[in-house]
Amino acid sequence: MSKPMIVWAAVYVAAVYSPTIQSQSVGHGADFSGVWSQDRGAQPERFRNHAFTEELPPMTEWAQERFDQSKPTFGPRNVPVLETNDPVYECFPPGTPRVYLHPFPMEIVQTSDRVLMVFEYDHLIRQIYIDGREHRTDLAPMWMGDSIGHWEGDVLVVETVNFNDKTWTDRRGVPHSDQLRVIERIRRISDENLQIDITIEDPVAFTEPWVGTRIYRAVDWDVEEFICMDNVNFEAFEREVLNYDGGVN
Amino acid sequence: MNGKAANIVLLVSGVLALSVDALAHHGAAAYNTQATVEVAGKVTQFEFINPHVLIYMSVTGEDGSTTEWSGEITSPNRLARSERSTVRWSKDLLQIGDEIVLIGNPARNGAPSLRLLEVVDSDGRGLLGSDYWSERR
Repeated sequence: MSKPMIVWAAVYVAAVYSPTIQSQSVGHGADFSGVWSQDRGAQPERFRNHAFTEELPPMTEWAQERFDQSKPTFGPRNVPVLETNDPVYECFPPGTPRVYLHPFPMEIVQTSDRVLMVFEYDHLIRQIYIDGREHRTDLAPMWMGDSIGHWEGDVLVVETVNFNDKTWTDRRGVPHSDQLRVIERIRRISDENLQIDITIEDPVAFTEPWVGTRIYRAVDWDVEEFICMDNVNFEAFEREVLNYDGGVN
Repeated sequence: MNGKAANIVLLVSGVLALSVDALAHHGAAAYNTQATVEVAGKVTQFEFINPHVLIYMSVTGEDGSTTEWSGEITSPNRLARSERSTVRWSKDLLQIGDEIVLIGNPARNGAPSLRLLEVVDSDGRGLLGSDYWSERR
């Protein structure tokens, strides 16, 4: 077992089987346990494989300058993988909420003190604390942010802050600063569907809050392995294609 | 490419059912998504690997020369789950020597490579279950 696999497995097992802290969360909560996949039937629009909204968000001059320098592999300015400066192709985490744009399932595991999102994409785990704690102030800026949640009836409201400024908010190169604040409202809209309403705030990057929605469907799959470092396989393939010389040599 | 491959059909088509999300890991900048090409040949290599499944096949031209074509498609996990197909894919789904047809968007630079929209096995079965192929039959 590789080192990342061991770490992932240890965190997962510890989260599921360790004695849980007594919950101090408010509200009665709901059960989101299970494996979820993006519901392309409910949200078939083409932009949803790379963005939360079809239109670009209202960017500040600071953000526009960085957006202009970004070279995404998706959207109207797309470039080949070998030419992109998208941080995920260097295997940095995609960040929150961008991780929802990667088309792989996630499992939600709930304990009394946490809601865990276990993503197939690069085995990322997001821990949302629902034990009544405040955001920590002693942590370094984070790729996925620090997530605190509480129940409002059967809606889980999650606030995520303390980001670094190195990820993009989507797969078309929209940046954010370390002042990013993400509010999610997660709820079941039917027995089979979960809806996540996302508000993205960042006074350095956006002139007003930016809102998107993702709908998931329950699936009977397992969360499998998808390791970012395997990107080297595709880069070798793409290099063969892009370096094609017409078959002369 | 040496010689003219006889088994190549160039089709200019509209948006295909699988074109929106056929690839999970990156966009399609290297490929012309407004065109579709069909190529028939024999499997020389089948790599059921992340982040994309890769298929290589040998295509014989009218003059007897051969060209190796390649195709890429989404991740093995998604194919094994039949997310984008009616068949559950596995590493044994294709064997070297199998006669198949690859259908996909061609590389912009003329390289013999496709962003795959459909893979048709020797029984004429569309292994991705695309509307494109089922409506052709």
